[in-house]
Amino acid sequence: MLPPEASRGDGTTVRLSFPPEAQLLGTVRLVVGMVARKAGVDEEGIEDLKVAVSETCAVAVTDLAWAGLDAPIELDVIIEPERFGVEVRDRAPAAQDPPRRTTEENGDLDDRQFGLALVGALVDDLATEPLEDGKGHRTRFWLNRRAGDDLPPLV
Amino acid sequence: MDLDLNVRKEGDHAVLEVGGEIDVYTAPKLREKLIELVSEGSYHIVVNLEKVDFLDSTGLGVLVGGLKRVRNHEGTLQLVCTQEKILKIFRITGLTKVFPIHTSVADAVSAAE
Repeated sequence: MLPPEASRGDGTTVRLSFPPEAQLLGTVRLVVGMVARKAGVDEEGIEDLKVAVSETCAVAVTDLAWAGLDAPIELDVIIEPERFGVEVRDRAPAAQDPPRRTTEENGDLDDRQFGLALVGALVDDLATEPLEDGKGHRTRFWLNRRAGDDLPPLV
Repeated sequence: MDLDLNVRKEGDHAVLEVGGEIDVYTAPKLREKLIELVSEGSYHIVVNLEKVDFLDSTGLGVLVGGLKRVRNHEGTLQLVCTQEKILKIFRITGLTKVFPIHTSVADAVSAAE
């Protein structure tokens, strides 16, 4: 198991690249939470980001496993003055139908769709699109500064 | 990252104490424990989430599955949780209308009797 590799980009982006292994998602949440806390995101926002990141990466892990691929997942944490963003890129084939995670055990709850709906409720401006070469997906979302927040600037 | 699961009996109830993070990696362990409890005849289950640091949709799915299993035996599945970050997940998904959520194990046990 390889740990996520964190490296600073241009001072506003932190980039991670990690193998599509479910056991790494806890470490990814930890890293994103630490970056968000350092950037001044409040505790509620940090928890929202952790859930959103974990759900998004879980979908990527599931899709890649289903496709039999082990291409790394790339994750950018984007720090801007008025908002905090996350972009997740995976190399799962875009043309294939995504696997559902519905089973008798989970009460016919499709927790893949449930998870994405949860992300949409927790963060702002959720968007997913194919990568430029058509071989994968890009999912991006933001946590906007809430009205009335009395937080230090994110950068 | 690991999930701690401990079961104790309180009268007719099995109290499942859960600690750690419930996500796509650890949720199968919780699913297996709930299946094991029901297969052993424990149809009234209290799941204590007070020491859970993280819960995602996979964990919610496992809890819904557990509820479905105990209801097949006219049983109950009660939750204990006072952590706002976890309660928020149940509220957003509308599952506060599905699960009885209590502030203590004692309240959960007495509510189910």
